[in-house]
Amino acid sequence: MKTNWIGLVKSGLVGMYRFLKQDRFAMVGAIIYLLLILLAIFAPYIAPYDPHQMIREGGQLAYNRLPSAQFLLGTTNMGRDIFSQLVYGVRPALTVGFSAAFFVVILGTLVGLIAGYFRGWVDNILMRLADVVFGVPFEPFVIVLVGFLGPSVWNIVLAMALLLWRDTARVIRSQVLTVRERSFIEAARVSGASHLRIMFVYIAPNILPLSFLYGSLAIGWAILTEAAVSFLGFGDPDVISWGYMLHDAYVSQALSRGAFYWFVPPGVLIMLAVMAGFYIGRGSEEILHPRLKKV
Amino acid sequence: MRVNWKFFAKRFGQMLLTLWIIATILFFIFRLMPGNPLVAYIDPTFTQEQQEILMRQFGLDKPLWQQYFVYLGNLLQGEFGDSFFYKDSVVDVVSKVLPNTLYLMLLSLVVAYVIGVLGGIVLAWRRGEKIETVGIVFTLFTRAAPQFWVGMILLAVFSFKLNWFPSGGSSPAGVVYSSELAKLLSPSFWHHLFLPALTLAIYLLGLPLLLMRSSMLDVLGEAYVDMAMMRGLSERRVMFKYAARNAALPVVTAMAVGVGYAVGGNVVVETVFSWPGLGRLLVKAVSASDYPLSQGAFILIAAVMVFMNFVADILYSLLDPRVSLDGRG
Amino acid sequence: MISNKTLRSIVLVAFCLVSVLGTAVFAASDAERVIRPLYILTRPQASSPDEFESATLIANAMKEVGIDARVKVMPWEQMADLVWYERTKWDMTGWQMTARPERLDPDEFTYNLFHSSTAETGYNFVGYINPAYDKVAEQQRVTVDPQKRKELIMKAQQIIADDAVYDFLVHQKIGIVYNNQVFAPDSIKEMAGLGIKNFWTYIYATPVGAQKSMILNSNDTVQAVNPFYISGTVDSWVTELIWDRLMRMGIDGLPKPWAAESVKWIADDQVKVVLRKGMKWHDGKPVTAEDVKFSFEAPMTGEVPMYKPFVSIIDKIDIVNVNTLIFKLKKPWAAFETACLAKINIVPRHIWEPILKDLQQKPENAESYQEKVPVGSGPFKFGSWKFSEEIVLEANKSHFQAPKIEKWICRFIPNMEATLGMIQNGEINFLATYVGDPQLLEQKVKADPKLTMVSSVDLGYRFFAMNLRRPPFNDVAFRRAVLALTDRWLIVDAVWKGFAVPADSVVSPALEFWKNKNLNYPEGGVEEAKKLLKAAGYEWDRKGRLMYPKGKKEELAPAF
Repeated sequence: MKTNWIGLVKSGLVGMYRFLKQDRFAMVGAIIYLLLILLAIFAPYIAPYDPHQMIREGGQLAYNRLPSAQFLLGTTNMGRDIFSQLVYGVRPALTVGFSAAFFVVILGTLVGLIAGYFRGWVDNILMRLADVVFGVPFEPFVIVLVGFLGPSVWNIVLAMALLLWRDTARVIRSQVLTVRERSFIEAARVSGASHLRIMFVYIAPNILPLSFLYGSLAIGWAILTEAAVSFLGFGDPDVISWGYMLHDAYVSQALSRGAFYWFVPPGVLIMLAVMAGFYIGRGSEEILHPRLKKV
Repeated sequence: MRVNWKFFAKRFGQMLLTLWIIATILFFIFRLMPGNPLVAYIDPTFTQEQQEILMRQFGLDKPLWQQYFVYLGNLLQGEFGDSFFYKDSVVDVVSKVLPNTLYLMLLSLVVAYVIGVLGGIVLAWRRGEKIETVGIVFTLFTRAAPQFWVGMILLAVFSFKLNWFPSGGSSPAGVVYSSELAKLLSPSFWHHLFLPALTLAIYLLGLPLLLMRSSMLDVLGEAYVDMAMMRGLSERRVMFKYAARNAALPVVTAMAVGVGYAVGGNVVVETVFSWPGLGRLLVKAVSASDYPLSQGAFILIAAVMVFMNFVADILYSLLDPRVSLDGRG
Repeated sequence: MISNKTLRSIVLVAFCLVSVLGTAVFAASDAERVIRPLYILTRPQASSPDEFESATLIANAMKEVGIDARVKVMPWEQMADLVWYERTKWDMTGWQMTARPERLDPDEFTYNLFHSSTAETGYNFVGYINPAYDKVAEQQRVTVDPQKRKELIMKAQQIIADDAVYDFLVHQKIGIVYNNQVFAPDSIKEMAGLGIKNFWTYIYATPVGAQKSMILNSNDTVQAVNPFYISGTVDSWVTELIWDRLMRMGIDGLPKPWAAESVKWIADDQVKVVLRKGMKWHDGKPVTAEDVKFSFEAPMTGEVPMYKPFVSIIDKIDIVNVNTLIFKLKKPWAAFETACLAKINIVPRHIWEPILKDLQQKPENAESYQEKVPVGSGPFKFGSWKFSEEIVLEANKSHFQAPKIEKWICRFIPNMEATLGMIQNGEINFLATYVGDPQLLEQKVKADPKLTMVSSVDLGYRFFAMNLRRPPFNDVAFRRAVLALTDRWLIVDAVWKGFAVPADSVVSPALEFWKNKNLNYPEGGVEEAKKLLKAAGYEWDRKGRLMYPKGKKEELAPAF
């Protein structure tokens, strides 16, 4: 039993490695994620200061310092170490990103699976529901929800989970529609497998790569959305995320001060994290549409 | 081109259905907000007497299901109540800024789709060359950069450094346009529109570009393109005349999705560029706890989006008569 | 027979039991004595970074003495609503009193903010009740002799400091910037406590080049243009310019006749006002004594609630002849000229009388009425109002003191970075609102010869209000401890970057004459606060949490 699990994990990792090796883009994306995750885990060892701490030197607040050996990226106008904020900021970014992606993948895959497998009226209802959700403007919805339920990153995740499953569900459904016609599914049905078994044991493995593709895109959306919501002033005031940092830099006029060491790094990291998701997404696109390779 | 009336009617019905469901969800969201449910309509500064009058007007003294029908009835008559903050009817307040939002959105969509489609063609044609990698990386950058960040940088460079464009508003100080038409014909309005539209367009162009590219790649594999090549037609001619025309179809449907992003993007871009639009109004309404205004602005934004979705679908059906309701997605 | 050993063990066990039980009992009562989490309300960092940062600093200092202080962020409208209308439901809140011309007289701050009569629905939102103070506040009102009144004002400031009613932060140094290539520098007027953003600047500012308009900015939008409604900041700039008043606060801070030709006290409680001749409404009709009488009487009805406190002193108004009126007061009021004659907008009776009559039948009052084209008699006429974008006023050339500029344009710019860029590239030429980093502004101005900055200590002040209705804030010792914990010098330094002076009174140092410079205001940080609390009987539990003195327990649930 035990060895079985290890073997499974191993073969999974090997499969993932093979997949990544096939595409430079996907490889780059995976490496970026890996680095970010390591950064999140070891943040306390990497960051020299507590990101909330207002640093004082001889009773004087060390504000608006330029980058130096002591403050790698300088300090904010309230004397907080920018580099430490940047390092710790990876945690909320990944938390928001991964939890939103998790819900989007689970919800979207379930809806897509059920709709595609059962077809008929179930499909009809679920897909009309997806149409409705497509009609809900995303960012305004997040703002209304966060504005009235309170500024918290979890409300942002909630808003994303409520809306973004629609993209995944649609694509998964059409994929399920083709998969369910394959002969091995027919064979399973004939041998008397239950609906659940067919859906989750036979069909699901075939659509999971697609789910993960949408999941990796959702990570990006979630990070961007959190940043936008923070920018508009509805962000979680207790959480120093990259979005919060940009917002802080913006209200503290880092741009006018020419403090690019404050304004640029969080933006670049957001872009990197989002792009990593896109890269992996693009890599899988090549795998999923091998026909393109011939061109 | 033949208009498929049955399809049109079906899609129209679906649009109404969608709006109805969104309105319903909104009704329950605002009723389930923490605190006094009446707060959704009643300004706490009102006197007892005023509150009772309003309660009757909105049917808040009735059970929830009756309230719901009163609410729907009010919506159908375009009655969204009065804004707490501006002490004016929601419809009046919203209609003052709605056109500005539409101009910004439409212009940036057009720009994004023109550039996106052309860019997609080039990237598909040059597949495997260095320009493709550079192009794709660049496109992904535009997609991954936070819009307000891009906006602020454009503002810093083009407005403050180079002084080419004004940094905010929709018109120069003190200028009043006699009508919407006069506004649209005035160069200064476009001058003000440029930077916000550019910011939004940069954000929007990724989708059509990538989609056009992969759609082109599909088409390029088809036999008739090879045939055309063999007939000795010029590369450019094949690319535009045969491949691009056929590849453009899915991009048109994607426009519906693009509208959704545009509507959302507006909120942030309008704040950065002080653009007097619906998105900024919504932010103001939400932060002021102005429930009627938030609700009204949200429904209108959703209506714009649903309507644009509808238009995109109709367009698609006109371009490709094979499409029926079931053929989508 | 019980052995010694057994006895000892019994005693030991009993002792253990008693001590365990005892601790449990004490622990229970201790737990009840622990002060609940106290919430400090503040606006978000985006809209008010200084308030937010100050709240964080105060909360951190309070934590150091074992108070579970928490910062609660709220948008202004929501916060104001809570503080103002739910007076028993908050603990502590960031607040500010802004500079207004009528506040150049200390009466409003002295009386309205702390008199017990305004505690229920008025300006005394902290709920300060002190009969001894009431007496002083009332007395200064009716004392017309300035020297005698000064003593009373000094005394009032001392009582407020002793009772630690407000947790003062700072008087800001307001740096207002204008473009010296657009306006002649000597035509920009500075008022003590108000700076150069004032009525006289708008009247006197003289264009020297091709740009004839003053373009200024606000980060807020206009809510309403209504002479009977005190709403947003910009709204009050606008009403001041469109509608005339009998008197105006002069550059020296004293009321001067304006629409009145003369204002004479004919008794301690009677004022004779002669109206200026030849004044016209913007629609061309003449301004009459009837209009003036109407303007002061309308707020006495229930239709104009916000102006009611300013006219309630008036007993009646008699029209002596075409341009002469006599105001009879219920009792003498030292600040009558400043707080009433220079405050009430004179409105055209022919327009507002029918409106008010109509409103009496409706639930709304005059505050929610918006004229399509507001009509006043002031130095500026209403031009246009583009929602969320700008408001334009045009010079009234036929006014007795016509402005030198042609248009007064206020742009609504929510983006502070953009605002700073605009004053540099000339899109605006008068930076009227700036909530950003003052140090940065100073740098930019120094680097740009076309910009001039005038810095003045503000009449207004920033503070944290404590809700005196809610324990522990009902205890003066606790409040003094909070004040001592508030390191105003650090706040001046860190939050305002030196562009402020620490405040200890409602009277600004800008008002030399009225300021009490020898106040016994608490300071000294954590140590002093601990001393004050200990002396008042407060204790700490084993986890270091602050507890009420013995015999008191926490009776309130946390506010959030």
